[in-house]
Amino acid sequence: MVVEKKRTINRLKSMYPLRAKVNETYLKSIEAIQAGKPAVWGMLNFYYGDPILKAMDIEVVYPENYGAIAAATGVAQQYLDRADAEGFPTHLCGYSLTTLGYASRMMKELNGEIPPEAPFGGMPKPLFLMSSAAICDARYKWFQALGRYMDVTVWPLEAPLPGIKEFSIEDYYDEMVKLGVKHLRDFVTFVEDMVGKKMDWDRLDKTTGLMIEVNRVWHEVNELRKARPCPMHSRDFWSAMPAALFLAGDLEDSLRLYQDMYKEVKDRVGNHVSAIPDEKYRLVFAELPPWHSLAFFDKLAERGWNFVIESVGYHPPIPLDLSRVSDPLERITKFSLQFLVGYYEDARKQNVLGGTTAYPYLKYAREWKCDGALLHPLITCRSASTHLPYVADMLIEKMNVPSLSIEGDIVDLRLFNPEDALAKAEPFEETMEHYKKMRRQEGFDW
Amino acid sequence: MLDKNKGLSKAREIYLNRLQRVKELKAAGKTIIGYPCIYVPVEMLTALDLIPYQTCGDIKEPVTEADRALPSSFCPVMRNCLDCALKNKNDFLDGMVTIHSCDPQEKTARVWESYTSYPYFHFIDMPITVRPEALEYFKSQLNDFKKTLETFTGRKLSKDKLESAIKFHNRQRALVRELYELTKPSPPCISGTEIIQVLKALTGLPVVEGNDLLTEVINEVKSRTGGLEKKPARLLIWSSILDDTDIMQVFEAKANVVMSESCGVIRAYRGEVKFTANPLEGLADYYLNEITCARTFRQATIGETRKDYTRDLQSRFGYLKGIVEEWKINGAIMLLVRYCDPFAFEMPSLKDYFDSIGVPSTYIEYDYTVGALAPLRTRIEAFLETINQ
Repeated sequence: MVVEKKRTINRLKSMYPLRAKVNETYLKSIEAIQAGKPAVWGMLNFYYGDPILKAMDIEVVYPENYGAIAAATGVAQQYLDRADAEGFPTHLCGYSLTTLGYASRMMKELNGEIPPEAPFGGMPKPLFLMSSAAICDARYKWFQALGRYMDVTVWPLEAPLPGIKEFSIEDYYDEMVKLGVKHLRDFVTFVEDMVGKKMDWDRLDKTTGLMIEVNRVWHEVNELRKARPCPMHSRDFWSAMPAALFLAGDLEDSLRLYQDMYKEVKDRVGNHVSAIPDEKYRLVFAELPPWHSLAFFDKLAERGWNFVIESVGYHPPIPLDLSRVSDPLERITKFSLQFLVGYYEDARKQNVLGGTTAYPYLKYAREWKCDGALLHPLITCRSASTHLPYVADMLIEKMNVPSLSIEGDIVDLRLFNPEDALAKAEPFEETMEHYKKMRRQEGFDW
Repeated sequence: MLDKNKGLSKAREIYLNRLQRVKELKAAGKTIIGYPCIYVPVEMLTALDLIPYQTCGDIKEPVTEADRALPSSFCPVMRNCLDCALKNKNDFLDGMVTIHSCDPQEKTARVWESYTSYPYFHFIDMPITVRPEALEYFKSQLNDFKKTLETFTGRKLSKDKLESAIKFHNRQRALVRELYELTKPSPPCISGTEIIQVLKALTGLPVVEGNDLLTEVINEVKSRTGGLEKKPARLLIWSSILDDTDIMQVFEAKANVVMSESCGVIRAYRGEVKFTANPLEGLADYYLNEITCARTFRQATIGETRKDYTRDLQSRFGYLKGIVEEWKINGAIMLLVRYCDPFAFEMPSLKDYFDSIGVPSTYIEYDYTVGALAPLRTRIEAFLETINQ
């Protein structure tokens, strides 16, 4: 007898065609690569390099995502062991070690052929590597380290990371934009040299416009989640985000599908339809979810835990009117910078200076009326974990919002124990109840 | 009899109690500005008559307070530095300058600013490449730093004063290089442990006092008779940071450490700031281009469209070949502070480079605590046995 998995979360119908489009595009991309079309390995770059590659019709694979796939399908361990044997410390980013082990196997043992055990068609030897300085050191050092296995050149995308207070210094923003535009102009020249064709600037202009509009609509979808009960769960967010964050799929299709999603979520708000049967607790999730154990959220939904907002690193920038900026490279730069600095003015006013990725959680808790935060520190992903103690400290001190921290990892799946995590749920509910009373005593409105 | 107030003895005294001199300076009305990383352009502080004081960790200090702000799987050096700050060990500071030289520096800076309340706090962003636009951006960051310093002090940072400060700091760099000339003989005239004492003392002194100390040390070492014990190995240590004599003594128990390519030792002193029409240009170039830390992305040709691994290694580690030859090094330790990603990613490639120039090397990891010393000793002894065979 087939036992149907119980799904408590009321998933958005509009999410499925969007996700299907993303999956279909991925498979088409793999087919094109297997047929000989050159591919680039790219790091998540927060809208900076992707529109340029998209406008040049270049296929991109993302080793970070592939690391998650390799972990979930059980093949990562052999690549991790291989990277270890090659001399890379085991405490490095698990995704990076997976890629390094994969590249070692592909280039040293298989003469450049894709390893037969590689899931989802594998990653072919790239034409070039596009790394990024955004978020962590690993994401540019890891591609540099790949030079040991492949004579493939790297373009490291710069990513300014201003101080929250310093950002208000006169001309500071303009200098960041100047760096970005010049850097991207040189990147375009580099890509042109690598692929042997010229940039179609009209196409880049259109791609940029669509990227910005897709993300604006996606932002508006998430704004609707402030409603009580929350109409959309984090599961739907994570399923739908690749089309906006990685520009996966055709951008015109994506725009239409996100617009459909907006309509569905708005309808739900109007009809008081919740993402879970009985919303007792509204939570924010930080940062990378346990991709391999997402059913865990159904169990929490049964208890009335609704995840109403999540993972700042995956959220679209706060919309910024760039319609008067004619140069697409300047628009791309300003849009990409907005991912971080969109929160800065507010953070400065609140005097929360402790991290570019920390303040948004305070805003989330306040505006999405969260009762608690579920933090997911990862052993080998320091960039997604370092700010979490500070986030927890800030949430409790400034808003009486408690946090529950559950450790995991991005590739070592054994480190995340859903049973243990669920055992902590009941005591944490008592904690959330306690702090709810405290918030009310102190004049908060939730 | 040695004069405790001069040369090596004085350096040792300062090393053991770095706070004493800085507190005297504070009592005398000086303004003390902390900085955690050698990428902070201290010339700009000196030019405004501010005293730069490098905030260091202490391997003997168990981390307790920093636990509330940083996770345990995080750079132990920065955890330790922040811990000292949160225990009010740096409460004499009038300000703090931090820099985005690496992820832990950036992350710690944010938290540090949030949990402390110095009258002045500034964060400098830093690009990862040495491309021309990156250099321009870094220059603008230094210009912003200048603006906030001027506001804080109420004084203008004039070109003349900045050039004068650059001269003094360049003099210090030259003196440190001269000190390292004294490790070239066999046996070396000065030990790695003594060098750490001297160089760590410098990071808590005004530049002129530091230069006087260095001059005394160099003269004292040059006039030494008898020399140090000659040991079978002449080692190069390549590390993110090496600023503690307890660690160095583990290596020096059975080897002469003649070069330490690390922060806390020669890394901040190997080059020199060039004099340019706008001094910020020279400073930006020196700090972004010249300091050979793994945090900077280097390649054989900027923006290259073809890659060759041998040329790549040369662009990243080529400077080590001359050191190996001049200092007659016969073994290299690649010493990693746990969770230091920029250096950790380099290890296999650096080993390839050492292999290519015929230098035996080993990779050793530790966690910047006294508890790490015993296993460190075992690892180094095993390595020395292999190269002495």
